[in-house]
Amino acid sequence: MGSTITANRLTDGVVVWHDGQRGWTTDRAEAALLEGEALDGLLARVRRDDQQLAVDIRGVEIEDGVPAEYRERLRAQGPSVRGDLLRKGHDWAEGPFPPPPSRSHSSPHAGIYRYDEADREFLRQRAAQFGNQVERRLKGELNEEEFKPLRLMNGLYLQLHGYMLRVAIPYGVLSSTQLRQMAYIARHYDRGYGHFTTRQNIQFNWPRLTDTPEILRLLAEADIHGIQTSGNCVRNVTTDQYAGAAADEVVDPRLYAEILRQYSTDHPEFTYLPRKFKIAITGSEQDRAAIRVHDIGLIARRNPAGEVGFELHAGGGLGRTPIIATKLRDWLPAQDLLRYVEAVLRVYNALGRRDNIYKARIKILIRETGAEEFRRMVEAEFAALPADYALLTDDLLAAVGARFEEPPFQALPEAAPAFDAALAQLPGFSDWVARNTHPHRVPGYISATVTLKPAGGIPGDATAEEMELIAGLSEQYSFGELRVSHEQNLILPHVEKEALPVLYAALRKAGLADANAGLVTNIIACPGMDYCALATARAIPVAQRLSERFAAREAEIGPLDLNISGCINACGQHHIGHIGLLGVNRNGEEVYQITLGGASDEQAAIGGIIGPAVPSEDVPDAIGKIVDAYVARRTEGERFIDTYRRLGAAPFKEAVYGAH
Amino acid sequence: MALIDIAGREIPADDRVPLALEELPEGQGLAVLLPAGTLAEEVAPLLPRLALVVVEFPKFRDGRGFTLGRALRERHGFTGDIRAAGHVIPDQLALLRQCGFSSIATPAEHPPAQWQGLKDPTQRQLLQRLLGGEGVARAQA
Repeated sequence: MGSTITANRLTDGVVVWHDGQRGWTTDRAEAALLEGEALDGLLARVRRDDQQLAVDIRGVEIEDGVPAEYRERLRAQGPSVRGDLLRKGHDWAEGPFPPPPSRSHSSPHAGIYRYDEADREFLRQRAAQFGNQVERRLKGELNEEEFKPLRLMNGLYLQLHGYMLRVAIPYGVLSSTQLRQMAYIARHYDRGYGHFTTRQNIQFNWPRLTDTPEILRLLAEADIHGIQTSGNCVRNVTTDQYAGAAADEVVDPRLYAEILRQYSTDHPEFTYLPRKFKIAITGSEQDRAAIRVHDIGLIARRNPAGEVGFELHAGGGLGRTPIIATKLRDWLPAQDLLRYVEAVLRVYNALGRRDNIYKARIKILIRETGAEEFRRMVEAEFAALPADYALLTDDLLAAVGARFEEPPFQALPEAAPAFDAALAQLPGFSDWVARNTHPHRVPGYISATVTLKPAGGIPGDATAEEMELIAGLSEQYSFGELRVSHEQNLILPHVEKEALPVLYAALRKAGLADANAGLVTNIIACPGMDYCALATARAIPVAQRLSERFAAREAEIGPLDLNISGCINACGQHHIGHIGLLGVNRNGEEVYQITLGGASDEQAAIGGIIGPAVPSEDVPDAIGKIVDAYVARRTEGERFIDTYRRLGAAPFKEAVYGAH
Repeated sequence: MALIDIAGREIPADDRVPLALEELPEGQGLAVLLPAGTLAEEVAPLLPRLALVVVEFPKFRDGRGFTLGRALRERHGFTGDIRAAGHVIPDQLALLRQCGFSSIATPAEHPPAQWQGLKDPTQRQLLQRLLGGEGVARAQA
């Protein structure tokens, strides 16, 4: 028994231990084992004296020569799901590096918001500002408590093994050049891969603090950033992955999402909110953006006169207290969007709780004040702002809209003989088309999903090589444009149907043609305890076992959303999976609560827990029993969620836990 | 504690002692101290009698003061001095300016020298440019 003192090294995040005399070491074997006064004394001293060397300094209990807690053992060796990285050491590639892709690529037709020099200069200045903040932190002008919110507002977290940088993919739209730039960052400043998240961001797991300003500067050259991807501010605005491409879309939400991005970036009043604030917007009646579980959710519509407006919801969210949002407005004219959002944010900033971070989200404020009273306050605030306040005039909308170039679509013939022939002849193609494509608004085109969910893979992870390959395919087949979905997949939004068989063959060759979009193996999972400092269970290994188990049956099982979170914060959105799994630590054992009946679409619902949590290794069997119970009871063509809604939880409870 | 103006320049010390709202005497040109959580509506009726409003930030992460400052300046048209006090950091200077603050009582660990010469892109919001001097840009006026 005894404890060692551990921390992360300030400059690069590497896990270090104190040797009791000389200082910090990266070799745990050299860590001093201390007890009682010696432990307390040294802890107090290094916490006082070593603020500029180490972060998150604390004692860790040791049993039988290793940390008692599994989390700490993981911290000592690296993520359990990346054996290839274990004990690889802490070597970062040293430059000089080749010129970044932004020098040679431009993706001229991708439907991203086109930056001008002023937009780009803003990002450069932000990167320089962060560089200055890092310098002041290293000098001691800013302490860690002050620096933390500043680094978070630039996307930089401190996780289990070190720093993690979250970069925004605004409303999920990116160009091939931007994806190449991300691959470049992954290769030269990280460990060769990135992780796409459920909120249309990408995360790099191993950046050094001291490299981060340079990383942000490089991202700025490709018009991307990590601004407000964390912190208690308005986060990356998310939308439907088919925005601007889908046949069933009424209003292109990218325009409004971009305006909200510009509005909320560095907003002087709303950068230190009680808690984070997430906005999602859909322009289609089929909600693919999960707007009802966001702090503000918007459905863009047209009225009979053809004018754009929004149905506005607020106070939805997952986490500890999952709540479906309250509808505040049936119709908000588009021109008043910012004025109304400002009214909501102002009421929230003034009255949201700051005494308890678990009760600080707007959903709790709305629940505690009551929907009617909250709506009254927002409407009063809205009415008190000048009628022309931040008015989105037709001119302004046209100016921002013009930044989104329409790709040079061809007028294609109705017939697609190569596509039709492949449907009949090319093995696997018809299944892939049925599941991984979505109808396009332009005749002859289609949107294609590249799932990052191979059987046994890590959901949402992509290597630098995969990113480059997919970027290249987007240049060849989709005007150099890509999307990221909240299901953690990549999409080529504008593919000619006639070219789809060739694209499919190329993806297949690269091992990226899994036909599992919307199926049980297309699992949403958070990074869990393998990476995350908050997690209480490892979500990735469970996802891997489940996708391996069900890969052969996925087609037979049909549409099913399975979401896994590694802790109560619910980043894996387990509450809104048709089947949800929540990992918790029960006396040192990772166990999973099973919820059923959640949904993220226009019939959004929070899933219900069906019984006691099951041990991690028993999860595949338990899910197998649920799936079998569904298959045995479903009517012709009935989806899992519909069977669940028809029958309730009882048959599934019985399948997992027996009749008693 | 040293005072600075909203451009980050040190200004002479101020010997006025701001009083709590409920302790405010009769008269004009008064100074008041508003703890975090004070709503603009509670102060609005007294504004004509005030020369200085000190808005307290218990922690720099507690952003309620930004809403209070902005509401006093924009909604209620207060033209006197609005001063940030408590725990604020140099990186918030531009935000404070845009929310109507006109002076800062700097905390001991962030003396006036730290507030000068910071390159701060937050002075120029993206949307301000977009709205062409309207709306949010008004906060700058």
